[in-house]
Parts: sequence; structure tokens; C-alpha cells
Amino acid sequence: MPEVFIDGKRYEFEGDHMALQYMLDQGLEVPFFCYHPSMSIPANCRQCMVKAGQYMKNDETGEYELDEEGERKIRWFPKLQTSCALKLSDGMVIQTQETSDEAERAQKDTLEFILANHPLDCPICDQAGECPLQIQTYKYGPEGSRFEVKKVHKPKRVELGPRVTLDAERCINCTRCVRFTEEISESHQLTIVSRGDKNYPITAPSETFDDPYSLNTVDICPVGALTSTDFRFKARVWEMNQTPSIDISNGKGCNVDLWTRDNEVLRITPRQNDHVNDYWMPDESRNAYKLFNENRVSRPFIKLDGDNQSNSSWNNAIETFAEVLEANDSSDILLIGSPHASVEENYTFNKFFNLLGAPNARFATHIIDGYGDDFLITDDQAPNTSGCRLLNLDESSSSELKTAVSQAKVVITLGDDLIDRDVLSVSDLEDPYVVSLATNHNEMTKASDLVIPITCVAEHAASYVNIDGRIQRSFPAKETKYSNRRLNLEMSEGRLDRFGTNFDNWVNEDNKVDCLPVWEFLNKLAERLGLEFEYRHSREIMTEISEKLDTFADVSFERMDEEKGIQLPIKQSKVEQK
Amino acid sequence: MAELSFTQEELDEIEKIKAKFPTVKAATLQVLWVAQRKYGHVEPEVQQLVAETLDLPAAHVHGVASFYTQYYKEEMGKFVLDVCTCLSCQLCGGYEILHHLEDELGIKAGETTDDGMFSIQEVECLGACGYAPMLQVTNGVYVNNLTEEKADELIKNLREGRMPEFESMQMPKLEKRNQAAS
Ligand code: SF4
Ligand code: SF4
Ligand code: FES
Ligand code: FES
Repeated sequence: MPEVFIDGKRYEFEGDHMALQYMLDQGLEVPFFCYHPSMSIPANCRQCMVKAGQYMKNDETGEYELDEEGERKIRWFPKLQTSCALKLSDGMVIQTQETSDEAERAQKDTLEFILANHPLDCPICDQAGECPLQIQTYKYGPEGSRFEVKKVHKPKRVELGPRVTLDAERCINCTRCVRFTEEISESHQLTIVSRGDKNYPITAPSETFDDPYSLNTVDICPVGALTSTDFRFKARVWEMNQTPSIDISNGKGCNVDLWTRDNEVLRITPRQNDHVNDYWMPDESRNAYKLFNENRVSRPFIKLDGDNQSNSSWNNAIETFAEVLEANDSSDILLIGSPHASVEENYTFNKFFNLLGAPNARFATHIIDGYGDDFLITDDQAPNTSGCRLLNLDESSSSELKTAVSQAKVVITLGDDLIDRDVLSVSDLEDPYVVSLATNHNEMTKASDLVIPITCVAEHAASYVNIDGRIQRSFPAKETKYSNRRLNLEMSEGRLDRFGTNFDNWVNEDNKVDCLPVWEFLNKLAERLGLEFEYRHSREIMTEISEKLDTFADVSFERMDEEKGIQLPIKQSKVEQK
Repeated sequence: MAELSFTQEELDEIEKIKAKFPTVKAATLQVLWVAQRKYGHVEPEVQQLVAETLDLPAAHVHGVASFYTQYYKEEMGKFVLDVCTCLSCQLCGGYEILHHLEDELGIKAGETTDDGMFSIQEVECLGACGYAPMLQVTNGVYVNNLTEEKADELIKNLREGRMPEFESMQMPKLEKRNQAAS
């Protein structure tokens, strides 16, 4: 098998590899800026330099040639190589900054050069804390700089487009952003203009950077040159928590990270998953964070007289709900599940009322024909349409639902604004008693007689089956009134959480929503109704689903975590639920 | 600016240029020249025209146009005088020539005369250091070994529509060789 020697250690490899990626795969470190595994390799930052050569072999005997000291002779390539663009070949010898003074020196010098005109305003820079330039200068950079002249000042605060702001001063011309628009989003909107110490990326004069994927350039920009207009200066990254989750604004189910501080989600960024979204996500999905913070249903709401809704206690809500259920025949109940809610929510929701004798839940897909592109935006606007189908909920058209509503005395819905998306109208809901389990205030909750606040994707651990049949899950990122970061071992803790107390002025109790996971609310309702129904964790629900439904066989939170989601045999046509 | 377009003749020329290169992208430089010859500059609208004609992203054409100072990104005078003030020229009086021209034409470097005849630019080395000081007229002929008189003469000629001749300069070494050969 072909072999390479990196910093004196022997590695065997198969197939084609570039030295940098190969070393990263081995857990070795070489600093770099312009390289990105999903894009072409321009080798223009020159930061990943290594010393490379070849052991000399005797052509006839095939033996290594040895020097006087018995060491293998190396024929060094005449110059240092950029490891990102260096293809491994059999017998190659590589020395990184760890073993070669020359490579170390080259990296220092490159950094000194890159920093010649870089403003180094880390204390006020949005990228500080997650800036490769900052980190690598700290680790590999020079102690000082020989440049004494004034820095070149390039344009600041250029609005490239509706969502991206450029601070050209900080740009190190790695061209990642340009290559992204050429190779990934294919909008070709960005280019590098001018040259030398004056160059920076921008659009053509007649264009704005309104690429539906423009914010990905902010993620991959190795410095604070490209910033998200919405997020910039909102928070320092080290004050934030990063929690893995799933995009819920789209059927693709892009893997994302939710960034929270003081129980508010402040931004959403893509999380790498080769099976789903690679390193990318659409801009519009990033806006979903507002749904997690704003306009939330907190504490139950109830209609007392006429159309006036008012806050109510949980006890009152449970009592009212129970009385409505007791007063009506179970066959007069209409359950409407939701492709916007998780597998666990839909399952427990349906199961609970089935146990009371209500007919199987229906659901209405949320698909806008022609909305999607061929990349990460789909026609399907909901994260869990496949999940609803696999749980065997009854897929219903708008007119079917309208008929069902008109025949029902009690309508119970799960987190879905059917009015806003034109499935039902306000007048449809006038006659029956409407209960909404909801995350946000909307037309649907306004039309409801009873509103039960439930957790959103940012507050619970739950799974969603994407449009391709991949089941993936979320982790709780925000505390609710009833959950606690320290006690919930699944929740990550940031610096402020670890070292702050409730009395610190950056802690705001108002950011905790008074809501419950669906199953936890149903536990309470079951207790009141004397129904046998109890779950302690959504993990337990998934275990039950996997035991009962063949499609979900072997699905577990653990496996989803390890394998970054699981592909379900979605072709299966009939799914039983009991 | 009115709607811009290439004539059929120009389009034919562009087709010929395209045929010379394996990719259309590579034709950008020459087609920008075609456009600049026609309009005297490659302002954004002209860049747009080139992009549309070649079916290339507007950003790409903009990147190319902005990289080379020889493409004029704004309207310039009929004659653009690129006066070299780089080292050799500077030592031999490049700045004197520049300031002399500025005084004569009543504009500063970077400006254009009101009648639209002349623009003056201060440029870096144009590779004619041996005949310093020098200037270049509208990306074309070099005027070498400049003196104030020679500069005045040039202005006068250009005003009357006479472009200077291309001056063949002999390398000293060549002179020697030619002498030896004769
Ligand atoms: S881009 Fe990085 S190194 Fe530059 S100012 Fe910002 S944090 Fe500092
Ligand atoms: S803006 Fe950022 S990503 Fe784009 S070239 Fe500059 S440093 Fe690279
Ligand atoms: S990462 Fe290799 S040159 Fe930039
Ligand atoms: S210095 Fe003027 S041409 Fe070189």
C-alpha cells in the first residue's frame, strides 16, 4: 500500500488525497484559510505551506538510498508546497510546522503579510472568538510586525445585499465567498475587484447580493469581513450556547446549530451533514429563530365570554379540557395533527385521544408547488410531513378537513396555523369547541377556545422525518419555566450559564416561556381523566414507536446521535399504528 | 445613458475572438477592448453589455475590468496622458513633467479638461525606464525622453488631431551589436 511520512511518522493511504485534507483527517493540524473541503482549491492564502519531498530509492534494487549516517536520503522539492494543493504520492515525505523550521517560518511570514493591512480590531470585530485568523495568529503568527506604514483602508460597512454586510478592510482575499457563489449556489454574484492591497469581493455594479444562500458566505468567511446584517453586534460568541438541531422551516431538514444566550435564540447556522445539507443552509431558514423567541404562547389561554381570550392557570386549563372531553362523545372529536410538529408530538397526541376513543388524527400537508429549488429549499414547508405519513395519520385536503370540522363538536389541533395557510377559515371554526396546542400566537390560536402552550423545537428533544425519509432530532436549547439547564443533562451550558446566577443583570426570567412538551401536558390531562398514559422523556416515546411500528424499527435517539440521523425505509406503503 | 449595443460588425469580431479561446471567459479581456474602443470607457453599463454579449456573469466582467487600470471605469478625455512618476521617471523629472502638464491643461492628475479633450493620470512604471521620463497616450504610444518642450509639442499636436508617431527605441546593447555588425 502507498505510504507517506508526515513529521517522521508513517501512514498508509489508499486512493487520491490532498496532503492538507489527509492530515486533517488524521487529526493533525496545519493552519489554513482558503481551503474548504466542498469547494475548489485555489491555494491562494499560502498559509498551509509544508516542506515536502520524496525518499530516494535505488531504481534497480528498489531499496532506499541511505546517507553516511544511515538515514534515508530525501530529495526535497525545491520550494515549500501549499499542502491543500499537494497530492499525496507513494513515498512522499512531509514536514509541517511541527518539525520543519522552514515551514514554521513561512507560516509566520505569511501571517505577517496577511496582517500587514488587516485592521486587527478583534475587540470590536464580530468574528472574534470564532476567527481562524485570530486563532492562527495566536498559535503560529509572528511576535510583531515589520510594517510601520499606515494600513490601507478598504471600504467599511458595504451592504452587499439585503442580508450580508462587508467590512472590506478585514478581507484576506481567500475567495471562499466568490467560489461559493460560483460553485455551490451558482448565482455568480460575487467577484474580487481591483488588485493587490486594494482588492475585495463585491457584486457587479448592477447587482445586489440577494442569493437565497448568501449567508453561507458569512459562515465560511474566515475573518469578520462578511457579517450577517441581522446578527452583527448582537452577541459575542463565547457568551453563547451552541445546540445541535434541525431546521423546521422546510422539508429538507437541514442540520443546524441554535445559538442561544440568556434563553433567546440569536442565530441559526448550518451544521455539517453530508447526507442532507453538506455545510449549507438557505437564508430564509435562518429567520426561524424569531419564532422561537417572539410572540410565544406563554401560559394557557381561554375564552371566557364572547371572543375575549385571557390567561388562565394550568389547573383551570386542564379542568376545562377534561370537562369538554367528558361532555362530548368521543366520535364527535376531530384531531388534527401537524407536519410542523415532531414525530413524538404527533404520536402521543394521536395515541392519547385514540385511547379516549377518538378517531385517528388527520393532517394537512403544507406544500407550495414550485416553491423549491433543486438544492436545499423544498416545496414542502413543513419539517415532518413524512413523519405524519409514517405514523399513519390521515392525510386530508383542505375541503376534506372543512367537512370534518363541520361535523365535529370538538376540534383539537397540534401546532399548525391552518387559517394562515388557508386550509381552514375562521368561520369554519365558529361552531365547534376548538383546542389548540400551540407554540406561537396566530390566527389559529385567536380562533381557539382553549390554547395550550407547548414547547417549540428549540425547547425539546424530538425527531422529525425529512422529505427524503431521514429521521433526525433536535436537542433542547432554551429553558422553559419548568426545565433547568443544570438538571437537564442534554442541555449545553455556555459561559454565562455556568458562571452566571439568576441575579446577574444579563439574566432575564422573561425569556423563559411558560409551556410544556405535548406529552407532559397530556400526562397531566391523563391523570385528571384517570387514563393510563405516562411518559417521562421523549426518548421513551421513540422507544415505544420503534417497538410498535416496523418503519421505525431500531430507531433510537442514540443511533440518531451517532449516525447524524437515520434513513428510514420510506417506500413502505402501509404503516400500522395501534 | 442610452441603450447600448454592439453593431453586427462588432458582434462578428467578437465571434472571432471567442473562437480563439477554449472558454468564453478567456475572451473577456479582448471583448472589453472592443467595447472600450467603441465607447471610450467601460462604465458599468458597458461592462453589463459585455457580460450579456458573452453570456457571462456580470460580476466576472466587473472583476476583470476593475483589475486592469487600462480599462477606464469612468468616462475619460479623448486623450489620456499616463505620466509615469515611478522611480526612474521620478529621478529624471517625471513630476516636473506631470506638474507642467497640469499647469498647461489647467487640471490636476486624475481630472479631465472641460472640453473633454485631455485626462491626466499619474501611473506606475510602464517599463520604459531607460528613456525616462515618459508618458503614454490613451493606452497606446509611448512618448519618451520627455522635456517640457516635447510635452507642449505633444499637446499641440493632439489638439490638432495628430497622434505622435511610434518611436522605436534601441537598446544600448543592440546599438553596440549593430555597430559591430556593420
Ligand atoms: S477578523 Fe479576526 S483577526 Fe481580524 S479583527 Fe476580526 S477577530 Fe480580529
Ligand atoms: S470576504 Fe471573507 S470569504 Fe470573501 S474573500 Fe474576503 S476573507 Fe475570503
Ligand atoms: S489553504 Fe492552502 S493555500 Fe490557502
Ligand atoms: S519608471 Fe517610468 S517607465 Fe519605469
